[in-house]
Amino acid sequence: MIAVLALLAGVVLGVYLDPTVPGALQPYLPIAVVAALDAVFGGVRAKLDRIFDDKQFVVSFISNVLVAGLIVYLGDQLGVGGQLSTGVVVVLGVRIFGNVAAIRRHLFRA
Amino acid sequence: MTAPPPGGGERDPSARVYAPDFLTELFRNPLDPGYADAAARRAVGPVSRVRQVLGRPVSLVVLAVIGFLFAVAYRETMAEEPSRATARAGLIAGIKQREAETDRLTVRAEQLREEVGRQRDAALSGSQASRLRNLEAGTGLGRVRGDGVVVRLADAPQDKDAVTGEEAYLSKVLYSDLQKVANGLWAAGAEAVSINGQRLTATSTIRQAGEAILVDYRPVTSPYEVRAIGPGSMRDTFDDGRAAALMREVARTTGLSFGVKEVDDLTLPAAPEPRLRYAEPSVSPSPSPRPSGSGVGGSRSPGPSGSGVSSSPSGGVR
Repeated sequence: MIAVLALLAGVVLGVYLDPTVPGALQPYLPIAVVAALDAVFGGVRAKLDRIFDDKQFVVSFISNVLVAGLIVYLGDQLGVGGQLSTGVVVVLGVRIFGNVAAIRRHLFRA
Repeated sequence: MTAPPPGGGERDPSARVYAPDFLTELFRNPLDPGYADAAARRAVGPVSRVRQVLGRPVSLVVLAVIGFLFAVAYRETMAEEPSRATARAGLIAGIKQREAETDRLTVRAEQLREEVGRQRDAALSGSQASRLRNLEAGTGLGRVRGDGVVVRLADAPQDKDAVTGEEAYLSKVLYSDLQKVANGLWAAGAEAVSINGQRLTATSTIRQAGEAILVDYRPVTSPYEVRAIGPGSMRDTFDDGRAAALMREVARTTGLSFGVKEVDDLTLPAAPEPRLRYAEPSVSPSPSPRPSGSGVGGSRSPGPSGSGVSSSPSGGVR
């Protein structure tokens, strides 16, 4: 419950502060969102599995975002940014799907 | 999916255990293995006090950061959309403006050309002036008026599927159709032809560029109106010709519209002044056996006469 409130607080903060993202960081925003989604669903699933761990959650979020950003940055430098972002999205997307399926089984037993 | 579990507990420890490949592992167990490890560690011993105190607030902060990230990304995406649309609208406005400018300049060029024509007529004697006017009319450089025919061609009406909203296959007029019609009209004795207000000359082109049909590098769109001025028999000659027969057949089978009618007192505009190209003497270091003066004169002379009909009026004056 508190976690959901914290998430909402972040959303409200983002809406009210309306920060401008520097142009150099803009291409990494969608990748960062996907990485964050992966961390969130992983955390929710761990919670339902009763093995949630704060440190694991924090570290997985930060490292996910950083590694995803780094891969896309490297890809941009090498000229294969589009393909590498697709790769990142596929891998994280598969994980998100798997975790959401596990959450669904927990919640609906189906 | 059928790979054995990685931690086969009862296995002989010396036996090599092949971990399932990355993708299989990814599909089977999408949860970060760190959670299981952490749970196992917790089961063994108590966590440190620092982590007990700090763990929860830090993860809440991270959650807030994630929410913040979502909001920022959403706003960013939304903000990008209108900028794209405005860029597109700006480009379209630029094209429209340039087209209007071209039209304005064309009108101005036409006025100036008429002015030049008037001045020339005043300077020339009557017979020379009329000869020049006739040549201009024939080559498409002068505005002409007279009776003739109008051939109308149009794309098949756009047909939308009522259920899916998908556009049905649309039959379109091809550039070759316009070419055939124009050639048919010339063959039927037309003295002047224009397509959608673009006068055709001896050097005019009718081409396709992508979706658009270009007449002398200016785009024309459906419905196409090919006007021709010529003798009274032109309509029948054209109607009996191959171009008309072919287009009628195409119109019957595909739904294009094609029509020929006789119209009195048509006015066809003048074609834009053709750009004359002159041969330039090349400056070659090797000495030529002939004196250079006559060489220059000799290489320049084919220029005006070589560019064909367009230069003959000026040739006729001198």
